[in-house]
Amino acid sequence: MRVFLSLLALAVIALGIAMTLTDIPFGKPKADIATHYVENGREDTGAVNIITSVVLGYRGFDTLGEVAVLFVAAMGLGAVLATGTRTPKANGWEPASLVLYTGCRFLFPLIVLFGAYIFIHGHLTPGGGFQGGAIIASAFLLTYLGCRGRRVHEAWSSAVESLGGLTFVVLGLAGLTAAGHYFLSAFLPAGTLGQLFSGGIIPLIYIAIGLKVGSELAGVIDRLVEESQ
Amino acid sequence: MVSPVLLIAVPLGLAFAMPLIALISRRLPRFVPLVACAFNLIVAIRLIPTVLSAPVIQRIGGFSPPFCINLFAGPVGVMFAGLIALAGLVIAIYALSYIRTGPTVRYHMLYMLLLVGATGVVLTGDVFNLFVFFEVLCISSYALVAYFGDRNGLEAAAKYLIQGAVGSALLLMGIGLLYGLFGTLNMADIASRIGSVSDISVFVPLALIVSGLGVEAAIFPLNAWLPDAHSSAPSSISAILSGIAIEVGLYAVVRMIFTVFGATSIFMFLLFLGVLTVLMGELCAFAQTNIKRMLAYSSIGQIGLIVFAFAMASTISLAGGLFQLLTHTLSKALLFLAAGYMIHRSGSMEISSLNGMGRRMPLTSLAFSFGAFSIVGLPPFIGFPSKFLIVRSALEKQQTLFTLLLGFVLLGTLVEGAYFFRVVQAIYFKKSGDEPASRSLAPALPLISMLILAVLIIFVGIYPQPVADALSTAASDLLDRAAYIGSVLR
Repeated sequence: MRVFLSLLALAVIALGIAMTLTDIPFGKPKADIATHYVENGREDTGAVNIITSVVLGYRGFDTLGEVAVLFVAAMGLGAVLATGTRTPKANGWEPASLVLYTGCRFLFPLIVLFGAYIFIHGHLTPGGGFQGGAIIASAFLLTYLGCRGRRVHEAWSSAVESLGGLTFVVLGLAGLTAAGHYFLSAFLPAGTLGQLFSGGIIPLIYIAIGLKVGSELAGVIDRLVEESQ
Repeated sequence: MVSPVLLIAVPLGLAFAMPLIALISRRLPRFVPLVACAFNLIVAIRLIPTVLSAPVIQRIGGFSPPFCINLFAGPVGVMFAGLIALAGLVIAIYALSYIRTGPTVRYHMLYMLLLVGATGVVLTGDVFNLFVFFEVLCISSYALVAYFGDRNGLEAAAKYLIQGAVGSALLLMGIGLLYGLFGTLNMADIASRIGSVSDISVFVPLALIVSGLGVEAAIFPLNAWLPDAHSSAPSSISAILSGIAIEVGLYAVVRMIFTVFGATSIFMFLLFLGVLTVLMGELCAFAQTNIKRMLAYSSIGQIGLIVFAFAMASTISLAGGLFQLLTHTLSKALLFLAAGYMIHRSGSMEISSLNGMGRRMPLTSLAFSFGAFSIVGLPPFIGFPSKFLIVRSALEKQQTLFTLLLGFVLLGTLVEGAYFFRVVQAIYFKKSGDEPASRSLAPALPLISMLILAVLIIFVGIYPQPVADALSTAASDLLDRAAYIGSVLR
C-alpha cells in the first residue's frame, strides 16, 4: 500500500513536471537575460570565462551564500560529530608501504599546485574557487589514505577558512564604500581582458574561495577520518 | 542612509571570523552574536522610517535588475529583519549562561548563520538567492537540533533533515521550472511575466515551491518533523526555531503566492488548510504531557491561525496575520526560555513535574504565565490586539463561510486556553510532592532576556496602535504586486 501510494505521488509529480516542460521550448534560448550575459559579460565584469562572469559578477551574492552553505554544513558536521563520546584511541592501522608513502608525499605538492592553478585562473579558464578548493582537499585525502600518521593542523585550517570567508565579505563591503555604493561592485580596475592580472576583484574572490573550500573540505575529511577510527 | 545589505553582510562576516576569534580566546565567540544582533537591530530600526515611505532596492554588484540579484527592503522585509535581530539578541543573552556544555563555539557560529539565513530570506528579491539563504537557515537548524547529541536529538534531527531535504529538493525543482519558463530568477521580473504562459504550467512550479517551503513553515500535512525537533533541541534553539524559523518559512510562502505568482485562486484552499492546521495543532497540544512538545504543537496551531489570516487576503487581515506573527515570536520565545529553566530545575519535561513551580521559581513562572496569557490572547498582553484584528477582519468579510471558519479557529483558541491554563494551574496551585519548596532564581542573564520579552509583550499589548499602523503599511506591500514590480524594474 505504502509503495503504491509513493509511486502514485511520484507519477503525479512527474506528470505535472512533464506538462510544464511542454511549455518550455527545448534548445531555444528563451531568455534575453542569458543573451545579455553572453554578450556583455566580458565588458561588464572583465572575466573572459563567461561562467565566472555570471557566478562572481552578476550573481556574486549567490556565491557568497553558497560559501556560507558549505561553511554551515562543515560546522554542523563538526558540531554533530563532536557531541558523540570521544575516546582518543591510538590508531592501530598498519603504516602504508614505502612506495605508497613516498608516492603520496611526492604527489601532494603537485596536486595542491594544480588546485591553486585552477582557482587563480578561474576568470580565464574553466574552473574556479570551488573546483580548485575541491582539488586541494583531494590532496589532503590522499595524504590521509597514504601517510596515515599525518593530520591537518586544526588551528591553521580553521584560520585559513576564516580568513577566506572574511576576505570575500570585506571585498564586498569595500565595494559598498568605493565605487557606486553597491555591495560586491567591481571597484578595482578591470585591466586587459584575458590577462592574469585582470577582472578586478574576481580573481581575489576566487583565491579566497579556493583557500576556504580547500581547508573546509580538508577539515571535513579530517573529522570523518577521526570518526571512523 | 544605511544600506540594507549590511543586515546580511556584517553578521555573515562576523560568523566567518568566529574561528579566528576562537583562536584568540575560547570565551570570546559567545559574545559575537550579541554584537551582530545589536548591530542589525539598530540598522533595521534606522531603516524602518525610510522603507515605510518607499522600499529600498539594493542592487548587488551595481548591475540593473533583472540582470543582478537585488535586495528588496520593503516594510515587511525590514520589520522581519528587525524582529529576527531582536529575538536573536534576547535569545543570545539567554544562551550566554544556558549553553555551557558541548562544542559551544560551533553552537554560536551555527546560531549566527541561522540568523543570517533568516535575514537573507526576508530581504532578497531573487528566487534562487532565496533558495540559497533558505538552505543556510535549514542546515544550521538541522545541526542545532542535534546539539546535545543525545539519542532523541539525533533522531529528531535526522527526521528533520530528511523531510527538510525533500522540501528543498521540491523547492529547487520548482525554481528550475520557473527559470525554464521565464528565463529569469528575479522575483519582480517573474511576477511581470507570469501571465504570459498557460495556467497549468504555472500551477506545477507553484505547487512544488509552496510544498517545498511549506515543510519549513510547518503547514498542516508537512509538519511531522516539528514536534520532535522543537522538543529535543536545546530550549534556546527551540525558541529561535519556533519564533523565527517557521515564521520565515511562512513569509517565503506568502511572498511567493502574493507577489511572484499572484495566485488568488488558491486562497480558499489555504484558508481551509489554515483552519485544519489550527485544529490539528491545538488538539494535539491538548493531549501532550511533555511541556516542550505541548509548546511545539501550540506553534503549529499558531501558524495555522496566521495562515488563516493571510489567506483572507485583505489589508486588515494581512496586518492581523503579521501582528499575530509578532505575538507568536515574542510570546513563544518567552515560553520556551522560561520552560528551559523550569525543566533545568525539575530535571524533567513532564508537565506534572512543574507542580508548585510558582513557589520554587517565582520570576520564571511569572514569565511563563505572561507568555501563556499572551498566546491565548488575553488583554493587556500583545496577543489580544493581534487576535482581535484577525477576528475583526474575518467578520468584515460578511460571508457565512468566513464566519463559520472563524468559529472553528476560535474553537481552537478555546482549546489553547484550556491547556495553557492547565499548565499555569499546575505551576501555581498544585503542591509538589517530594521536593521541599526552596526558592531559587534562574541566573541573571536568562532573567534579563525573559524580562525584555515580558516588557515588550505588555507594552505593545497596551499601546498596539503604532504597531498596527506600521503593519497595515507592510500589508499593502505584500498585496500590491504592481508597486513591487514597478519599484524593482524601474
